[in-house]
Amino acid sequence: MAGSSGTNGQGFFTTRVDTFLNWARSNSLMPMPMGLACCAIEMMGFAGPKYDAARFGSEAMRFSPRQADLMIVAGWCSYKMSHAIRRVWDQMGDPKWCIAMGACASTGGMHRCYGVVQGVDNFLPVDVYISGCPPRPESVLHALMDIQEKIRNEYSVVQDYEVGAAGERAPIMPENTSKFPGQLEKPKASGLTLEAPDTGADGAEDSSSPAPVAA
Amino acid sequence: MAQPQKPDFPGHDLGDQFRFWPKHNEKIYERLETKHAWLEEKRAAAQGDGKPAGAHAPEADPLENEMILNIGPQHPATHGVLRCVVKMDGETIEKSVLDIGYLHRGIEKLAEHKTYQEFMPYTDRMDYLSPYSNNVAWCLAVEKLADIEVPERAQWIRMIMSELARISSHCLWLGVGMMDAGAVSGFVWTFQEREEIYSIMDEVAGARFTVSHSRIGGVANDFSPRAIEMIRDFVDKFPSRVEGWEGLLNKNRIWVERNKGVGRVTREEALELGLTGPNLRGSGVPYDVRRFEPYLKYDEVDFTIPVREEGDCLARYFLRLDEMKQSVRIINQCLDRMTEGPIRSDDAKEAYPSKEEVYYSMEGMIHDFMYTDVGTVPPKGAHSYHAIESPKGELGFYLTSDGTGRPWRVRINAPSFSNLQAMEDMLEGEMVADTVVIIGSLDPVMGEADK
Amino acid sequence: MSTPDDPRDANPKDPEELRFHYTPSDEPKPEQDTDNAHATDTTRVPEVIDALRKEFGAAVLDVERYANEDTVYVEKSRIREICRFLKAEESFEYFVDLGGIDNFTAEDRYEVFYNLVSIERQKRIRLKVRVDEEDMRVPSVTEVYRAANWNEREAYDMFGFEFVDHPDPRRMYMPEDFDYHPLRKEFPQLGVPGSLPLPPQTPDGELTMDPFAAAHGSQPVKSYQEPATDPDSE
Repeated sequence: MAGSSGTNGQGFFTTRVDTFLNWARSNSLMPMPMGLACCAIEMMGFAGPKYDAARFGSEAMRFSPRQADLMIVAGWCSYKMSHAIRRVWDQMGDPKWCIAMGACASTGGMHRCYGVVQGVDNFLPVDVYISGCPPRPESVLHALMDIQEKIRNEYSVVQDYEVGAAGERAPIMPENTSKFPGQLEKPKASGLTLEAPDTGADGAEDSSSPAPVAA
Repeated sequence: MAQPQKPDFPGHDLGDQFRFWPKHNEKIYERLETKHAWLEEKRAAAQGDGKPAGAHAPEADPLENEMILNIGPQHPATHGVLRCVVKMDGETIEKSVLDIGYLHRGIEKLAEHKTYQEFMPYTDRMDYLSPYSNNVAWCLAVEKLADIEVPERAQWIRMIMSELARISSHCLWLGVGMMDAGAVSGFVWTFQEREEIYSIMDEVAGARFTVSHSRIGGVANDFSPRAIEMIRDFVDKFPSRVEGWEGLLNKNRIWVERNKGVGRVTREEALELGLTGPNLRGSGVPYDVRRFEPYLKYDEVDFTIPVREEGDCLARYFLRLDEMKQSVRIINQCLDRMTEGPIRSDDAKEAYPSKEEVYYSMEGMIHDFMYTDVGTVPPKGAHSYHAIESPKGELGFYLTSDGTGRPWRVRINAPSFSNLQAMEDMLEGEMVADTVVIIGSLDPVMGEADK
Repeated sequence: MSTPDDPRDANPKDPEELRFHYTPSDEPKPEQDTDNAHATDTTRVPEVIDALRKEFGAAVLDVERYANEDTVYVEKSRIREICRFLKAEESFEYFVDLGGIDNFTAEDRYEVFYNLVSIERQKRIRLKVRVDEEDMRVPSVTEVYRAANWNEREAYDMFGFEFVDHPDPRRMYMPEDFDYHPLRKEFPQLGVPGSLPLPPQTPDGELTMDPFAAAHGSQPVKSYQEPATDPDSE
């Protein structure tokens, strides 16, 4: 397991809670297949016998948003459908991730027409985009691995999901993603920059220069 | 934001927030109230009054209360993004209203801005369970409009590939249908066969799924020897697979009882409701475009069109299995009778030149450029309709030309659209648990129905 | 509404109109092209046309033939009777397709076509009615062919025909909150900015508008009456 220090021959091991949680989360993603169009058929191929998403712990497709934590938007999304997708997304419990599968979901693709939303990132926070029309199941597997990589580098306990200023400033993607997974630096809680103090006239005078912030 | 006025319809309780197309929903619920259910009409015709036969007071038992249930647009059993709003009395569906259009992207509008050849990849994305059939339908429609003759070998290739597409579509229908009825492993078995057809498509066209292999005036490239070998392997082995599925399902008590007598449509009703394809033939109407007006070489091969009289979901199941066997028969004959020869028309105004010509001759390059730019130019004012028998039913394109390289108007007659329209009435009088089976057995594809 | 003209001549500077145009082929339409390789006999129905002429006389306006397909233009007001006659007397009992065409001409701008099949006689027939922009009413044929229901709704959605006596006059594809009829020729391909809202970015946020269409200068062109908009909206 990434980040652990071995079992020491005594039947236990030590690791960070973050790493442990991320390890568990990343290998048991439950996709919510938002199958809209042709990509949905390739998504079935991704779950099917030849490509076998079970190797990555993601074979349990959950059609109920409450039970899922990874939404795969597969296919073009019309304006009429977009509201339904957003409602399903809102019903999914945190933490959750989103894959825009295929050209249509990513950018509107070949359907540059009045009925199609030009990319689901207009209303959804997309984590991974997959190119292709439709992408082969291998690409979906790759995207799944990207999501796993991303999850392994998230703060799941220390800072994430806090309310207030610290929560707002929590980086979605830490700077040192290229390092070994689980080897995250400790977030600099003391050096956090907070809201700009209400300095009244001083702050309003020159908005172009960076406002001095309290350390 | 303007304050939207608060509509008073059920399900709307969150004040002035936008709640999923308020006006739209309001009209759906209105329709649900005012609709004269088909069931009522049939009963009225049979008994002389509109009262349901065994009507008892609904308030006597709380389980028999009236209730409005919303299935979809995101639901695993709706095969896409179909939305059914049903009014139920207990567990029986009294009235149903279908709402489609959740995949509408205006493909007919897009076609007016594309050249004829450019539009072909869009047809892949219509009925995305059998893209090759749609390619063939589009090419044949344009060829009829512009009067282009197709070499013989190309016609055989198209036939083989459309029959493979039919098999692959029916495989998916069977797998998903089994899953709907509760047998999840069936999906894995039929998908294995589909993957083999995908490999063949990959070998022939270079793409697994959205092939875009047919061209106006022919096909893109010839079969490689390996492709022919793969197809032969597949058709040799596929009948035994179908037998395996038959052995699993034909006498399977769960499967038979879930399907028998469910969604029954008589011959007259099927014609009246406008069902098409296997669903129409399952009700005893022998209408198949391959026989009705033979295209390609269908009048030269020997095959039967399976027709069943019962008109229920079980009949449609048997019928589709028979169709798969007939497809294998057609492919075998095509492989035997296929002749050598060119695979595209050699007229530069009718089809693309071959890649050798494009790369090694000036004329070839100019022709390629002109064909990409201008393309096929049918005469001004020409209009024609051409239909093929796609796996779902009659798929037709009605094209109108204005004498330029782009169609003036493309009208797509999509079989799933007709089938869904019939389903709205077929659901009435059924149990709510059977909707899943009925949707599965009608086999609608939303990408096609929503255009 | 101003008179619509040929869209190609309307305004060459208009970005919506800058389609690349080719020399239209001036070859006259072949009168009888049975040499079309894809033509079949099923679309030739001379005896049905004779029967229609005999029964309805002047209501049969015109007969056209291309690629061996007969198209019968009939009077709009009598389409229902004609369909009833075809179904009862000529065994055209299977309804296949119905749709609209926008010809973008000054008069008789729209057409509605009906595609009927007789399985018994193995024949197809196509009826057409001409519809003027001033009077978009077309008699509904749903009481003759039940299957025409959704097709008529679709034609209403896409072109704005008003099908008289239709049992269910709703839009087919677009939500009711949409004000336009997209398959009309003057409707821009990318849609009208602000006509369809996008969902909010947060669970309890405001609706948003798609920035895409507006950024590309997509506006309704010419002769299009703006629907009454609420000045407070957006």
